[in-house]
Amino acid sequence: MKLHRIWGIFLRYFYNLIHTYDRLTDMFFWPFIDLLLWGLTSRYLVSTGTQNNTMVLALLGGIILWIFPWRGQYEITVSLLEDLWNRNLVNLFATPILFSEWVVTVMLVGVFKSSVSFAFASFIAIFLYAANIYTFGILLLPWAGLLIMFGWVFGFLIASLIMRYGTKIQTIAWMSMAVVSPFAGVFYPISVLPQWAQTVAKWVPVSYVFEAMRSIITGTAVPLANLFWPFMLCIVYLVFAFLMLYNSYHAILKRGLISVE
Amino acid sequence: MQEGEILGILGPNGAGKTTTLQMLLGILTPSSGDIHIFGKNLQTDKSAILEQMNFSSTYVDLPWRLTVKENLTWSAYLYNIPDRKKRLNQIKELFRLEKQWNQPVSALSAGQKTRVNLARSMINFPSLLLLDEPTASLDPEVATYIREFFANQRKTYNKSIILTSHNMAEVESLCDRVLILKDGVIVGNDTPVNLAKKIEFSHLRLRVTKNAAELDKLILLRKLDSVNEDKQYTITIKEQLLPLFLYEITKKNVSYIEISIDKPNLEDYFMKIATSTPETKFRGDMS
Repeated sequence: MKLHRIWGIFLRYFYNLIHTYDRLTDMFFWPFIDLLLWGLTSRYLVSTGTQNNTMVLALLGGIILWIFPWRGQYEITVSLLEDLWNRNLVNLFATPILFSEWVVTVMLVGVFKSSVSFAFASFIAIFLYAANIYTFGILLLPWAGLLIMFGWVFGFLIASLIMRYGTKIQTIAWMSMAVVSPFAGVFYPISVLPQWAQTVAKWVPVSYVFEAMRSIITGTAVPLANLFWPFMLCIVYLVFAFLMLYNSYHAILKRGLISVE
Repeated sequence: MQEGEILGILGPNGAGKTTTLQMLLGILTPSSGDIHIFGKNLQTDKSAILEQMNFSSTYVDLPWRLTVKENLTWSAYLYNIPDRKKRLNQIKELFRLEKQWNQPVSALSAGQKTRVNLARSMINFPSLLLLDEPTASLDPEVATYIREFFANQRKTYNKSIILTSHNMAEVESLCDRVLILKDGVIVGNDTPVNLAKKIEFSHLRLRVTKNAAELDKLILLRKLDSVNEDKQYTITIKEQLLPLFLYEITKKNVSYIEISIDKPNLEDYFMKIATSTPETKFRGDMS
């Protein structure tokens, strides 16, 4: 892998970002609207006396942390889709870049954009609701790592399907994380799910992060070792998803990259 | 293919021209065989090979929201150009992109986009350049400039170029050698002049002023193909029979005021190939 090539592809996506209003909207507008609505909702619940102040941080923490898997997945699949919509895929792969360099770059683009969105959303939460996600301290780092890795898993899976079947199935780029979110327990404890769904949630690595976040908010310490299993799970998923993407790429090379549309 | 050679690939639609270029760029895996470029196997050394190559195609778009400068900048990073700023300025001047430099690609005309594509293809000063219809959609003045530019690149820097085009005059003037493809098979492989020589027939054009009936009889007698449009005759005849035929019409007192002989060219050969079943097939190594 060559750094200059990774930087070249990164620049390409960065230039595209600064010229594309809908991509900028994704980064700032939707996190802001989510925070505004859920912040007000949680404040209302606190005002009814049925909930305490921790409710605000629990809900807003969920929204802010959900940015990582959402953007991790979104950047991989939408970057691919944009190249297909604009007939740019050939321009990219008829150059010395390696497939692995492209993959690494879109992963890094996801990290960059989710970090910017996270910083923006966390500032808004502090400013509007005095809900400070940084009270979780250093734990935010492994959480963010696990969350974005999970986003990459879905990013790879969806990208591999889009490569094989083209843009006619592009809607799954927006659907996939929504499908998994009920099992992730972003806003509620896994215990409220029906038994079968709780079993599914055990195999969703990010559910452990949101459970840990809520435990800490309610004053229960969570050992870092608890993240070992979800990390291992995520790595296995990631390897599997990457192999699927790699196979899809080589399968479409057999019929020509230009044929993917 | 030799270093410094300009090779043209011609063929009717669907013959396999673009498919060939795609395989050479590593974006289509050949169903069989290997591709060797610069003595390396494309399958195993793709990245190293493509660092010394580049391409331009009218069928592939650049990211249209990016400005011309941005498109060339990210490309310059891909190829690790040492003095990027200097190279970008050179390219800007060479392809006359000063006015379009800070405009998004979406705001450019088809011809300007083609120029940007060609500029991008020269960003790494490639040893082998693949051009898929390089002058399509360019106005004649710019097309001539671009043709001269590539001819000069070969002359000065010994660059190798593979180009596909539907412009026969362009192929004839630029290429040292031409491959003619039909249904994925090479059916012609020679210099443009030698390919044209394979056509034995010339077109004799005459504006007849007297004794046209005698000429008609002679055409019938010699079983020649001809078109007569208001005494303007176009007669298709074997080149070696021309002197005899001209002697005969003079003997028959046929008078004419205009005469021209169109010698066969690459287009005639191409048309013959495109409309007929190939007589000879040259299957072989395309490395």
